[in-house]
Amino acid sequence: MRLEELEPLLAKVQKPSRYIGGEPGSVMKDKSKIRARFAICFPDRYDVGMSHLGLKVLLSCINRREEYWCERVFAPDSDFEALMRERDIRLYALESLDPVRDFDFVGFTLQYELCYTNILNMLDLAGIPPRQKDRGEAIAPIICAGGPCACNPEPIADFFDLFFLGEGEELDLEVMDLYVEMRDAGASRSEFLRAAAQIEGVYVPSLYDVRYHDDGTVASVTPKHGAPARVRKRIVSDLDTMDAPDSFAVPFSEIVHDRAVVEVLRGCVRGCRFCQAGFLYRPFREKSPETVTRQAEALLRSTGYEELSLCSLSTSDHSRIEEMLDSLLDITECSRVNLSLPSLRVDNFSTAVMNKIRRVRSGGLTFAPEAGTQRLRDVINKNVTEEQLLRTCGIAFDGGQSAVKLYFMMGLPTETDEDLVGIVDLAQRVVDSYYARAERGKGRGVSISCSVATFVPKPFTPFQFHAQDSPKTIARKQAVIEEAAKGHKKIRISLHSPESSVLEGVLARGDRRLSDVIEDAWRRGCVFDAWSEHFRADLWREAFEAAGLEPEFYAARERPYEEVLPWDHLDYFVDKAFLIRENERAKAAQTTPNCREACSGCGVARAAGRPCFPLKGETP
Amino acid sequence: MIAARAVFQKLGRAKYISHLDLMRCLQRAFRRADVPIWFTEGFHPHAYMTFALPLPLGVESVCECMDFRLLAERCGMDEAKERLNAVLPEGLRILRIAEPVYKHTEIAFADYEILFHASQDISAERLEREWSDFTARGEVTVQKKTKRGTAAVNLKEFMEILASAAGAEEFSVTMRLPAGTALNVSPALPREAFSEALAEHGVGEVFSSVRRVAILRADGSAFV
Repeated sequence: MRLEELEPLLAKVQKPSRYIGGEPGSVMKDKSKIRARFAICFPDRYDVGMSHLGLKVLLSCINRREEYWCERVFAPDSDFEALMRERDIRLYALESLDPVRDFDFVGFTLQYELCYTNILNMLDLAGIPPRQKDRGEAIAPIICAGGPCACNPEPIADFFDLFFLGEGEELDLEVMDLYVEMRDAGASRSEFLRAAAQIEGVYVPSLYDVRYHDDGTVASVTPKHGAPARVRKRIVSDLDTMDAPDSFAVPFSEIVHDRAVVEVLRGCVRGCRFCQAGFLYRPFREKSPETVTRQAEALLRSTGYEELSLCSLSTSDHSRIEEMLDSLLDITECSRVNLSLPSLRVDNFSTAVMNKIRRVRSGGLTFAPEAGTQRLRDVINKNVTEEQLLRTCGIAFDGGQSAVKLYFMMGLPTETDEDLVGIVDLAQRVVDSYYARAERGKGRGVSISCSVATFVPKPFTPFQFHAQDSPKTIARKQAVIEEAAKGHKKIRISLHSPESSVLEGVLARGDRRLSDVIEDAWRRGCVFDAWSEHFRADLWREAFEAAGLEPEFYAARERPYEEVLPWDHLDYFVDKAFLIRENERAKAAQTTPNCREACSGCGVARAAGRPCFPLKGETP
Repeated sequence: MIAARAVFQKLGRAKYISHLDLMRCLQRAFRRADVPIWFTEGFHPHAYMTFALPLPLGVESVCECMDFRLLAERCGMDEAKERLNAVLPEGLRILRIAEPVYKHTEIAFADYEILFHASQDISAERLEREWSDFTARGEVTVQKKTKRGTAAVNLKEFMEILASAAGAEEFSVTMRLPAGTALNVSPALPREAFSEALAEHGVGEVFSSVRRVAILRADGSAFV
């Protein structure tokens, strides 16, 4: 397709520059020299997808191979989509403007469950039948997906040929290499998928038969045609030699996070019991400060970005964080680039780190106490005390910060109303500590914004057995928090839609039967479910009823330890026995030390074949 | 440090870059090109850049102007132009960089070329006839946004038709409109008014493209 065909539509839509490609840094290749094309699809709008680092990592990895071309696809905004449908313009990739259905691979990144209807909508816009079984035997396009939600992709399994479990930097290329070889030899799609299933990290759902008990729980997941009984995730062993982007496509329009980003570590040592990412990305691995600095410099030079951000879970847990910050500040200060850091731990936020951050024009600092009382923090294994939080905020205030963002959750296991009110009390004590400081900036008030998310139990966490609160209970608890916050002028509370959180809970721990519900919900008009102005709880309820399934079965039911969970056949290295142990410890409000302090035998070291600590280069 | 004025074109894909986006885009291009420019001082330092006349979204141009302050000890104007053109996205290209001569306040007019595209519904000849009828009217009233809301203005007072021609696939009109800080008439106004006139005669949507081809001072001489 050429730009001229799009022009009449572009004249009529918001922010048309999102639909034309051509951004500085976007990779253009000569089609005639390409052996395989990959369309990486982010199932949300350009503004969200372009803020995401993972997409850029895959673009970089695949495009480094001369004979492969990877291009970006995003969900069009509603106004553009309506015009596309009206004029029969199929979904296309931004770099070449070519239709997605002409690609060899159409890959979706599964960052959050509420994007599932967007996936179906994009497949439909592309002219690709939503169900895998309806696509025939032609080998292309292979519809695939990866990302965190791939750890339980069962609700969307029927729409995909294969899933990438774990880290894709090496895996994606192995699969593409196999594909090219087999395609050129005339293989069918089934033949390719059976061979691909032999690559570690590839999950081909059509090679597994799922049977259910009468009560609806999973009876068995049985592999066929030689597929492995359990599919192991892939990891990259050395982050320093791993492929990382040295360039990004720089958007024209404003997006959510518009800056150079460098990943500094993977995994997490903390073992907070609610946190899926911390377990999914184990073992803990670090990038050296030299590598981080080198990659940051290359990115800044090639993009011209005026801001650099570090990306990881628990960034301040990096063993050489101060050295890294020094090294980065050396390059950012002289070129007037702003350095920003993601959420920091409060138990190791030192004056030294603060002083480094102070050298930077930064927007505000974020900390995540997660729960309002020490008792509940112990239950969830978030090992930070109020004293640490106040001391850390104090260091931030002394350093000139007057805006602090705090992340909390509600709906956690064993929670009482006292814990909810505790959120506001804790935030108020932070406010009080600001005003108690003699040296705060004159006239400048403090602002504490508390984002209170609704807890969603996730697979591969100790809380994966927990019954999630119902929408009614969530609403009641939110009212408790809002009541407690009345009159606290310096505290802003933000909450999330109860129905939306419960749907997330259903999809996160769902099984294959949900594909009927997801498809039906989409056909009834559900799309952009993560956006409150689009989310239609009523249509989802209709879809559940039509399928004869109840959301409560998936979200509101406590799972007995013996139950076969829909994701048990996927191996993310963490033992179920460990998760059960941790869940029991949670009930007793017993904390577990972090991995650096003591190994708790989560199973990752055994699966990875080596102890997680000491890290390479570290002395034990 | 010297005052510099870059004249650049914004064509093709680049016409979809909005004005604010353009500023950000150029600021990053300066960084990529390693062309040292002066930053504002104060609480929120940023690269100093001003534009003579903002260009509406979707309109092309061959005569855009941007002023900045070049740290010429480290990079001269010709060098800056080469380096920038090497990193600018498709559709943006710097034509020349020189010291500014006239002030922005001297801008009085801009010339626009509007192409109305023929289609199955309407031929270029018919477009030409309709345009004749349209311009033959004594009055063409449109709502123009002013500082205090909107006001009805008669476009005929402001529109000076310089040329027009019917081609195989399109009908083009070149017109001069007031431009600048004192009075600015966007090319969207005559374009929309003509669309309405066509609609009154039963013609459906006509796709048009607009390009700014000159910026002029009050006496009709070129601004750059």
